[in-house]
Amino acid sequence: MRASLFITCYNDTLYPETGRAVVTLLERLGVQLDFHRGQTCCGQMHANTGFRAEAFSQAKRFVRLYQDTETVIVPSSSCVAMIRDQYPGLIEELGNDALRRQFQALLPRVFELSEFLIDRLKVEDVGAYFPHRVAYHASCHGLRALHLGDRPFRLLAKVRGLDLAPLPNLDRCCGFGGTFSVKNAEVSSAMLAVKLQDVVSTGAEYCTALDNSCLMHLGGAMHRQYAGMKTIHMAQILASTEDLPAEAAQ
Amino acid sequence: MNHAPAGHPILDPRLAPPFPQAVLPVLRNPQLRKNVAHAIDVIQSKRARLVAEKSDWQDLRTAASGLRVHVLENLAFYLEQFEANCTAAGGHVHWAADAAQARQIVLDLLRQQAANEVIKIKTMTSAEIQLNPFLEAAGVSVFETDLAEIILQLGEQEPSHIVVPALHVNRAQVREIFARRMGLPNLSDDPQELTNAARAYLRQKFLTIPTAIGGANFLIAETGGVAVVESEGNGRMCLTLPRTMITLAGIEKVLPSFQDLEVMLQVLARSATGERMNPYTSLWTGVTPNDGPQNFHVVLLDNGRSSILARPKHRQTLKCIRCAACMNSCPVYRQTGGHAYGSVYPGPIGAILTPQLMRMHYAQSLPYASSLCGACYEVCPVKINIPEVLLELRAEVTNQERGQARRFFDPMYLGLRVANLLFSRAWIFHTAQFFGRIGLRLFTRKDGWIHSLPSIGAKWTQTRDLRGLPNQTFHSWWAARQKEAK
Amino acid sequence: MTAPAPSRQQILDRIRKAAQPPQDGSSAYETLPRTYIRQGQLTPEARLALLIERLREYDAEVVESTPTALPAAIGTQLAASGKHSFVAPAGLPTEWLSPGFDWRIDNSLTTAQIEQAEGVLAAAACAVADSGTIVLHHSAAEGRRLLTLLPDWHLCILRASQVVETLPEYFARFHQSPALVTWISGPSATADIEMTRIKGVHGPRFLHIILVHDQS
Repeated sequence: MRASLFITCYNDTLYPETGRAVVTLLERLGVQLDFHRGQTCCGQMHANTGFRAEAFSQAKRFVRLYQDTETVIVPSSSCVAMIRDQYPGLIEELGNDALRRQFQALLPRVFELSEFLIDRLKVEDVGAYFPHRVAYHASCHGLRALHLGDRPFRLLAKVRGLDLAPLPNLDRCCGFGGTFSVKNAEVSSAMLAVKLQDVVSTGAEYCTALDNSCLMHLGGAMHRQYAGMKTIHMAQILASTEDLPAEAAQ
Repeated sequence: MNHAPAGHPILDPRLAPPFPQAVLPVLRNPQLRKNVAHAIDVIQSKRARLVAEKSDWQDLRTAASGLRVHVLENLAFYLEQFEANCTAAGGHVHWAADAAQARQIVLDLLRQQAANEVIKIKTMTSAEIQLNPFLEAAGVSVFETDLAEIILQLGEQEPSHIVVPALHVNRAQVREIFARRMGLPNLSDDPQELTNAARAYLRQKFLTIPTAIGGANFLIAETGGVAVVESEGNGRMCLTLPRTMITLAGIEKVLPSFQDLEVMLQVLARSATGERMNPYTSLWTGVTPNDGPQNFHVVLLDNGRSSILARPKHRQTLKCIRCAACMNSCPVYRQTGGHAYGSVYPGPIGAILTPQLMRMHYAQSLPYASSLCGACYEVCPVKINIPEVLLELRAEVTNQERGQARRFFDPMYLGLRVANLLFSRAWIFHTAQFFGRIGLRLFTRKDGWIHSLPSIGAKWTQTRDLRGLPNQTFHSWWAARQKEAK
Repeated sequence: MTAPAPSRQQILDRIRKAAQPPQDGSSAYETLPRTYIRQGQLTPEARLALLIERLREYDAEVVESTPTALPAAIGTQLAASGKHSFVAPAGLPTEWLSPGFDWRIDNSLTTAQIEQAEGVLAAAACAVADSGTIVLHHSAAEGRRLLTLLPDWHLCILRASQVVETLPEYFARFHQSPALVTWISGPSATADIEMTRIKGVHGPRFLHIILVHDQS
């Protein structure tokens, strides 16, 4: 199987190890991966902050870049949600028939990582080994926009050595919300404090999620507060084996 | 206009501070946060339990949403039908284009009756048009009769929630207010005793004041009937004892037929208070001889609603049945309570309704008072896609900013404009990453983490660290790997 | 003095312009999705049992009776209440008015007279088992609205044949809207103080129901 990786702007810059883990994982599972060098950003940050006009060109670029790609894999729920929920409106407004057709054809070929593993590769046991107590944080986009459901749990259940600690108030937002984390930093931090309490209460060593955005926010507070926990993207857990344990997480 | 004491929340969007500023005193008030979180958690769990037991819940939501969409698409038809039927049944229907007109209509009706006292059933619509201070200034004494509204009226406080307006007040605080204002120094803080005190206090008012003002949950077009949903019975008192009843209702409150209540009542009680049915729902049609007020008036209020109706993507805002499930599920509201929104409509619905009622001239910070988590949309009984409307409103606010000189001094605005340029070409993006990494090294400590940043970055680092930018981007790693493979 | 007429036309014009294309309502209404439960599945016995359970959850007292035993059952309830003066609507069967109590029949009673009564006896129009809701249409046997509102103690006579399971069944039974309807689901309550449900703000604090098995 062939697929193309859309790493996302923030993973490329801030969490390249997540990208490396995705490559390790998928190649181990027999996926032939490629990477379009022309990729930058899906436009979510602009669209969500009200800079809709700017998002048009970013959406167009994405569609043009991947129009002939068999499968696009994105290790970020929120970016996939942007493509699924907001691109239709943006593309419609651009009024370009060819673009619209390209987008309609592309849309079913875009997958969030856990969707790709479960729905396309039809695999739950990816051969991972990660002997740690882990709490899974369900990001809002994954939960409510992508309806990932039990996919992440099914994947984590097959990771050898992993002790999954249930997270109380799983469906409550961590407070990141993109630029909300800065425009309403105090409320974001109040929500973070509540979330962190739930996460730390699990006694887990790691908090994982399918979105580094939430993890940047949670992990940033953990580090500031010497909380004794770290964050790690699920791709890195799934890529981890006895021979090649997950790269030292933050 | 609003001579509130310092620190007193201002629920006038024209005067209220922007949300990021308004939350600060609230976030620093542990008692308030605890009261709000407790109330929210109770309602949320009750709602969740009842929704789980209702196997056709999603079907009800679909029906409720469909009904409301249909009404809004045919609003003029149903309003005229309501007016005709209400009038035929002995009621009088008035139309108010805006808040000022509505206030004046009400005052004129009171003057016709030489009424200088009124009893009121809680209605957020009257708070929206700031009716009470207007009537008081005109020499009319207004007596709220909802327990929460009495707490607020006697305690000189503002509502913070549209269904449980005094949710930010705990029992000790209620005790203090009642003891002081009702002259009951030995009152305990037991909720039953507090409620008994309110009952006694209001009894005389109900029995003696002949004029009432209230709202409507639903207006039934096919019959001219009006439905009011309540818990305490003060609504029933106000609907039966007085001689004159004035009902204030937003134009969007209309439903096509009596039967449609079978959908709306099922979703409303579960969403609002986590009950299968609220204690009392009353429906009356015009005037009934020998039963209740013989002088009945409905004031239909536009006040910006027709302009929301005119915008297809925004119209869904008017589907709202004021159940407050959205604010009960909102993680932002849970931390801030309602006052920080600076509007009688707080929470997620307030974040989209308030700026629109203000024609986007005020409350521009409210569409940003959300992390876009989507919990509100999930629970909304009429399926208002609040996040979708929030995004539309954010685009409008940003477009306003584009024309303002101060945008050149706004780091967030400038940052996003620059970012757009950076994302336009991969090579520009990569160059920016390179220089960004170098620049951020200045702020990166020995452990590889950034502890403090300037400008907007400071809003991040005030409570969170940020890991320093790795030396190699993913795309560089990939390129190097490709090269190696050759 | 009503608002100048232009407001009405102005508002309607704005609304018509807003909702394009202009619609006339009724046609689309018939095809709206209604896939929710319209009809309950419980047997009559289970339905009644559910109603009783829901009523008792609200701390309403429920006793069962038969048509012939009803007057006696009423007498027992009245006696147990410890109260003496009762109001009743004019349309009640006279055999329901147990002797030994001070009855005020509502032939234009004053508000003060109703306020002085300790309790009220009245019939009902319907009950919805699923939500434990008693429905009053304020007919001659049910009394005007004030009658079942002011007294602190309310004895409601409900026939089993009046009980439906779901709210849509109530609306199917009463397709034509009565002019006045009161849906009562438990004694008055508030949750305004710390979300603790407290009974009896206004309206009767004590609700008693006699469920009359009038079906074979």
